[in-house]
Amino acid sequence: MVWYALGSILLPMVGGALAPFLPERSVKKVSQFFSFLAFLCGLLLLVAFAANRTGFTQNLLTISGINFYGVTIDTLSVLVNFMVVFIGWLICTYSAGYMNAGNREHPITEGVPRFYALMQLFIGSMSGLVFSSTLLGLLVFFEITGLCSWSLIGFYGDQQSRKSALWAIILTHCAALGLYLTTAYVFLSTGSFSVSALGQLTETGKILAFVGILIASWGKSAQLPLHSWLPRAMVAPTPVSAYLHAASMVKVGVYIFARTVLEAGTVPQVIGEIGAVMAVVTMVYGFVMYFPQDDMKRLLAYSTIAQLSYMFLAISMSVYGSKLAFNGGVAHIFNHAFAKGLFFLVAGALAYTTGTRRLSMLRGILNKLPVVGLGYIAAAMAITGVPPFNGFFSKFMIILAGFEIGRYHPLILVLVIVTVIESVGSFIWILKWMGTNVLGTPSDVVASAVAPPLAIKFVLTVLILMTLISQYLVFLFLS
Amino acid sequence: MIGMGENILYALPAVPLGTALLAFGIRSRRVAEVVHLAGISILALLSLILVRDVLGGQRPFVLDGMFFADELTAILLLLIGVVGFLNGFYSIGYMRHDLAHGEVKERNISFYYGFYHLFLFTMVLSAISNNVAILWAAVEATTLGSAFLVGFYHHKTSAEGAWKYVLLCSIGLAFALYGTILTYSNAFSMVQDAHKAMLWTELVNMAPHLDPQMMKLAFVFILIGFGTKAGLFPMHTWLPDAHSEAPSPASALLSGVLLKCAFFAIIRYYAIALQAVGKGFPQTLLLIFGLLTVGVAAFFILVQNDIKRKLAYSSVEHIGIMATGLGAGGALGVFAALLHTINHSVTKSLLFCTAGNITMKYGTRDAQKIRGMGKVIPFTAFMFTAGLVTVAGSPPFNVFVSEFMTLTAVLRSGHVWPMIFLLLFLVIVFVALILLISETVLGSPPEDLPRGEVNWLTLLPFGILFLFMAGLGIYLPAPLNQLLQGAVSVVLGGK
Repeated sequence: MVWYALGSILLPMVGGALAPFLPERSVKKVSQFFSFLAFLCGLLLLVAFAANRTGFTQNLLTISGINFYGVTIDTLSVLVNFMVVFIGWLICTYSAGYMNAGNREHPITEGVPRFYALMQLFIGSMSGLVFSSTLLGLLVFFEITGLCSWSLIGFYGDQQSRKSALWAIILTHCAALGLYLTTAYVFLSTGSFSVSALGQLTETGKILAFVGILIASWGKSAQLPLHSWLPRAMVAPTPVSAYLHAASMVKVGVYIFARTVLEAGTVPQVIGEIGAVMAVVTMVYGFVMYFPQDDMKRLLAYSTIAQLSYMFLAISMSVYGSKLAFNGGVAHIFNHAFAKGLFFLVAGALAYTTGTRRLSMLRGILNKLPVVGLGYIAAAMAITGVPPFNGFFSKFMIILAGFEIGRYHPLILVLVIVTVIESVGSFIWILKWMGTNVLGTPSDVVASAVAPPLAIKFVLTVLILMTLISQYLVFLFLS
Repeated sequence: MIGMGENILYALPAVPLGTALLAFGIRSRRVAEVVHLAGISILALLSLILVRDVLGGQRPFVLDGMFFADELTAILLLLIGVVGFLNGFYSIGYMRHDLAHGEVKERNISFYYGFYHLFLFTMVLSAISNNVAILWAAVEATTLGSAFLVGFYHHKTSAEGAWKYVLLCSIGLAFALYGTILTYSNAFSMVQDAHKAMLWTELVNMAPHLDPQMMKLAFVFILIGFGTKAGLFPMHTWLPDAHSEAPSPASALLSGVLLKCAFFAIIRYYAIALQAVGKGFPQTLLLIFGLLTVGVAAFFILVQNDIKRKLAYSSVEHIGIMATGLGAGGALGVFAALLHTINHSVTKSLLFCTAGNITMKYGTRDAQKIRGMGKVIPFTAFMFTAGLVTVAGSPPFNVFVSEFMTLTAVLRSGHVWPMIFLLLFLVIVFVALILLISETVLGSPPEDLPRGEVNWLTLLPFGILFLFMAGLGIYLPAPLNQLLQGAVSVVLGGK
């Protein structure tokens, strides 16, 4: 099984290393091939793991008796990695249709090899982060994903995108200092870089270590007060935004938080309190910021911020001893990835075919572009948590766990009530836009849309299916 | 093989000296190139042999102990040999380009190679000398050897840079001479043997008996003196001028190797001081100077416009990090500092060489005018980006490893505030360098600039340096690890 894990880390990196040397014509095919291989590894690992379900850790790089990197294979890493490589492959396929001169919003004539090189490096390092059994590994891949997203956000190279890319890397790098300190501190206290060494710390030591981890996680997951890079990052090519929001970058933060909480044994309750309060504050902020947005991608960016808060809330609540909350958080990481990936790719498909992302100009999508319209409906329903779409199940788990804990902890009760209100509010707001954009007779821009390429339609269809079934996959593994 | 073990100490300085003399006498460019290539190859080979010998447990001494080799020597010689070879190889393509564009005359090419080897000779001498007076003289001689390289272009600015370099370093090194004499007289009063009182190996052995007050004074002088040469704040002011005015491969050698020669001289005295006056005094001094150096350099990196000056300030910053590592002390701190010297050498050579190609292409060093490198010279741009990301301290490259170790060492020594300051300074550097990439590599190039790399001959060393840089970021080979561990025990007195 270690080989499958290494396959999903290294194969995309190999593909990425090859990409700059290939002619533009074949680079798309080769990259799809390598990302598909990575997906295959992820799938095989998922199947192999389902058979015996025993987690283990394998050390890979040991110098002078100190382990620097190893892979942990357990439910959390196998599930999240499957999501990372699956969406990675879908994005590579989608990009083949999106990154060309026929793009009406932003015709792309050069830089395709660079795009694929970085994208695959991104997939590989994300996978490396997910499997890492050491804090040092988490830190290294944390920084590499930062570098990848920096160069991808700045892909178009104009003034605005360069500036947005700088915001992304500088803010997340500053946040990473928290992880630097935690890693150094844990190493000095226990003599080990292993994530599970967190469990050997004293109560105060754990609080210090987790504050560092939280700062790093907040920065990467765009939570208050380190959120401002994410809405700016919307200048990136849409497949990049989709990957940033769905499977990587923002998920890095919450994944690190989940991984460390899982390995640290009992975590001081104060960390749960800080995490939960900040999560709900961010959630409310993200929700309030929905209202002024007219750019579809910016609306989605704030929605991502709010959805990540759900995950932070869930993991924070698991500190109180609730297994349900933890599982809900993991399920939400998984489900949200497909829903948000779909939503962004719908936005990308609209931009490709109509040349605009302005919500107020889009009307009657379903009529003119049925696959895109269906994708919009599925994504909106899944994000806002309407059954039978996947978002409902994980949100329900989180809120249920919240009320259970809330019986003994008034603070959590208040936070969960706010969460419920937020979820109803965002349901209404996103449904409002859905009604306007999807239904009715096509507006001028939609009526004059070109047909989306086959690759785009294929990916949207797969993702629509996933928003309907991904929750069952999670239940299978978490039960 | 016993014979080779000791003779190598004669061969090491003889090769570059002989090559230099030969090169000065040659008129033809082609012949000079061949001689130069042979010289750097043999030197690299010899340094590798020495490393192998030292790893095998040999400690060659010659001329009554005047010259010797231990693990510290081996590390420094490894840098001189290997980095000197790669920069030397790059020089060939670089000088051909300069000749083709009329920047230099054909006759001067042989002078360049001559001085290049003279410079190597003085550095080798400083690396293998056991006699502290010769050590001082050799470091002083590196100034003279390299000053001609700094002033090589005969521009007004390069002459000024060279002048400032010679002047400031000579003044600085005068302090080091006081330090050397103080140490000598201190030791002489103990052993009454003029020869022994000069030998570093003897000094280390008798260090616990030396007069602490006098050694404190001596260490301060040494730190100021060799610190000037190494580029420690506040005596670093010559460095950006000299390093930016020299031809790029010479800049690479200055930043990549020469600074380490002076730094290793400090390490030699650090080892004596640790035992003579205790840990507190030398470590506190190094920590303070190290942090100040990093801090001041960080802001200068941010505001400079000249890319080579930016790189020069970045070298100052990294010397600061190495000093901080020594200041943190302990096996971890010293190990981190030594590993950092290697990592920085490799990376900074790559950066100065790529900066050379960029300057050749754009005809300017002004970061405001260099745009769209990624489209004009993609390979060089990639190497430049990777190098900058590395010196900014980002994984997966080598500098991250030693910087992280330094941070951990500072934390272990209990200096929480210095560590926080160090982190903040490093963030400033990170921002400055990422900004530089964002401005120069991305964006759209000038319309009239033809696309394509300058010179394919210059790209090969880039590839090799890049492999070192990436490889050392992921893995530390066992022989290197052993060498570093050995050097740590030389410094801390475990052997």
